[in-house]
Amino acid sequence: MSDTQRITVRVLVYGALIIWTFVSLFPIYWTLTTSFKTAVNVTQGHLIPWVDFIPDWRGWRSLGLSPDTIGQVSTVREEFLKRFANSVIASLGAAALAVVIGSLAAYGLSRFDYKFGWMRNKDISFFFLSQLILPPVVLAMPFLVLYKELALLDTRIGLILVYTLMVLPIVIWIMRDQFDTIPIELEQAALVDGCSVWGAFLRIVVPIALPGMVAAFILSVILCWNEYFFAALLTSTNAKTLPVMVASQTGSQGISWWSMAALSTAAIAPLVVIGVFLERYIVKGLTAGAVK
Amino acid sequence: MASVDVVDVRKAYGSQEVIHGVSIGIKDGEFVILVGPSGCGKSTLLRMIAGLEPITSGDIRIGEKVVNDLPPKDRDIAMVFQSYALYPHKTVAENMGFALKMRHAPKAEIESRVRRAAEILDLVPYLSRYPRQLSGGQRQRVAMGRAIVRDPKVFLFDEPLSNLDAKLRVQMRAEIKELHQRLKTTTVYVTHDQVEAMTMADRIVVMHDGIVEQSGSPLELYDRPNNIFVAGFIGSPAMNLLKGKIKLNGKASFVTEDGIDLPLTSAPQGSDGRPAIYGIRPEHFALGGEAVKAEVSVLEPTGSETQVFAKVGAQKIVGVFRERISAKPGEALPMAPDPKLVHLFDKETGLRLN
Ligand SMILES: Nc1ncnc2c1ncn2[C@@H]1O[C@H](COP(=O)(O)OP(=O)(O)OP(=O)(O)O)[C@@H](O)[C@H]1O
Ligand SMILES: [Mg+2]
Repeated sequence: MSDTQRITVRVLVYGALIIWTFVSLFPIYWTLTTSFKTAVNVTQGHLIPWVDFIPDWRGWRSLGLSPDTIGQVSTVREEFLKRFANSVIASLGAAALAVVIGSLAAYGLSRFDYKFGWMRNKDISFFFLSQLILPPVVLAMPFLVLYKELALLDTRIGLILVYTLMVLPIVIWIMRDQFDTIPIELEQAALVDGCSVWGAFLRIVVPIALPGMVAAFILSVILCWNEYFFAALLTSTNAKTLPVMVASQTGSQGISWWSMAALSTAAIAPLVVIGVFLERYIVKGLTAGAVK
Repeated sequence: MASVDVVDVRKAYGSQEVIHGVSIGIKDGEFVILVGPSGCGKSTLLRMIAGLEPITSGDIRIGEKVVNDLPPKDRDIAMVFQSYALYPHKTVAENMGFALKMRHAPKAEIESRVRRAAEILDLVPYLSRYPRQLSGGQRQRVAMGRAIVRDPKVFLFDEPLSNLDAKLRVQMRAEIKELHQRLKTTTVYVTHDQVEAMTMADRIVVMHDGIVEQSGSPLELYDRPNNIFVAGFIGSPAMNLLKGKIKLNGKASFVTEDGIDLPLTSAPQGSDGRPAIYGIRPEHFALGGEAVKAEVSVLEPTGSETQVFAKVGAQKIVGVFRERISAKPGEALPMAPDPKLVHLFDKETGLRLN
C-alpha cells in the first residue's frame, strides 16, 4: 500500500469512528444540555449553550440540586435521593446475590455431572438461559399475586429478589464459561496439597475466576440499574427506583423536559462512571481466559 | 513413610473399563517406576492412589490402611502433575509453600523449606515470579518443588522431567535419586524415559492397556522379560524380534520365516515346529564367527559405538557394536547372536518359552 492509500484508509476509518462517536454521545449531550434549558429553548430546538441559549438552573432547581436551592429544604430532592438510594441498594444487592448464587450454580454445572429428569448439564444451562426469552410481562400477574401474599410489594428486598432472578441466567452463563477455562488439575493439586473441596474452590478457583466475577457483577449492576418494568409494577411509594421516577415526570401538565433531563442526567451519571472506569474490567473478565 | 498396596483395582469410565484389575505391592521406602505406552493408564493409576479418581473396585492401602474412601488431603501424599497444575495467581514461592501453609506450618519453617527446595531445583532467582513468567522447564521444576517441600508418606510423580533439556534432566535425575536416598520416602514415578526407568527405579512396573505386564527390578526386566511386550518395551534400541519356528532334531535351533538358521542353547520339550519369536538385543551380537549373514542397510556410527541397521532375510534387525565397522550398504555383515542371551517367546500367547 502506498502512503497516500494508507492515509486515505486512515481518514475513512477515523471519519467513520468520529461519526459513530457523535451518534452515540449526542443523546447524552442533549440530555445534559436540556437540563439547563427553559421551555422555549427546548421547543425551539436550541442546542449549543451560550451560543443559541443561555444555560439556566431551572431543571436542577426543580430537583433542589441547583446552587441556590442546595442549602434549602427540598421535598423533591429528598424524593430524588430516596429513589437514588433505592436504585443503588436494589442494583448492588441483586448483583451481589446473583454473583454468589450464580457462581455456585455455574461451578456445579462446570465440574459435576447432573441428571435432572432427561436433562443433563448442557440442557440445564440452556434452561437457565432460556428464561431470558420469556417476556417479563408474562410474569406480571403472577408476581403481583405472589408478592402481595408474601408482603414483598413495595419493599427493597422484594426488588432485590426479582432482580437477582432476572440477572442470574447471565451470571451463570458468564461464570460457567470462566470455570470451564480453569483446568481441573488446579483444584486437584489443591486437594492433594491439603484443601477440602470448599477450600480448593475458595482459595484457588475463586481468585482465578475473579475477573469474570467482577465483570458479571458490573454487568448485573447495569442491568438492574436500568430496570423499569418490575420496579414500576411492584413498587410504589417506598421502594420506587430512579427509572420509575424519571418516567413519572410526564405529568398531566405536559412533559417537564428540564426536570426530566436533570433526573436522567443524574440517573446516567453512575453508568458513565462505570463505563469510563470499569469498562476494562468487563472486557478483561469476559475475553481473557482465566488461566494463562 | 508407608507402603502402598494396590489390590485388584479396576477403573471404568461409564461402561468403558480402562484399568482391568491391577495389583502392585510397594514396600515402604521403595522407588517404583511405572512405564508403558501412552494411554495405558499410568496417570489414572497414580490419580487413584492420590484419591483424585474414585476406584470402581478393588482396594488401595497406604501404610496398611484402606484409603478407598479417604479424600486426597487425608492421604498425606505429594503429587507432581503431568500438566504441572501450578496456581497461576500465586508466586513460585507461594506455590511451593501452599501445602505447608494448609497444614499450618510456622511461617519461618515454610520459608526455609521453600528456600531449600528452590536451591535444589535452581529456582532461587524466580521465587517471586508468577508461573506465566516462567519457561516450561522452570514450571516443571516448580511443580517438583511443590512436592518436595513436604515430608509426605508417598510421592507421586507423573512424568516430572519430561519437559527438561537433556542436561537438566540428568542433573534432576541425580537430585531426585539423592533425595530419595536421604528421605527414603515411598515413591511412585511415571516416565516414558527408558534411562530414567532403568537408572532410578528399585522396581519397574510395565503397564499395557490397563494391566500390569510385568514388574521387577530393572535388570530382571532387561534380562528375563516375561513376554513379547515387555521384551520390546524395555531396552533401547528395542530388542530384535524375529518370526519363525523352533526346530528340535537333536540340537535346538530356530528357523526364521525365510529359512535362515539361528542358534539356540535349548528349547522346551516337544516344541518342534512350534511358531515362535526369537528375541535378541541389539547389543548381544558379536561380529564374525559362526555367524548369520546380515545385509547392511544403514550404519550409524556415534563414536563410542556403531549401530547397524540390517536385514536377515526379509526381517529387519538392529545391532550395536563397540567396534568401528566399515561395511557398505548392501554388503553382508557376519553378525552372531549370543545363544546364551536369546529370548524365546511363543507366537500365540506372547509368553516366554526359555
Ligand atoms: N475422564 C476420562 N473419561 C474417559 N476416559 C478416560 C478419562 N481419563 C482417561 N481416560 C482414558 O483412560 C486411559 C488411560 O489414560 P491415562 O491418562 O491414565 O494414560 P497414561 O498412561 O497416563 O498416558 P500418557 O503416557 O499419555 O500420559 C486412556 O485410554 C484414556 O483415554
Ligand atoms: Mg499420563
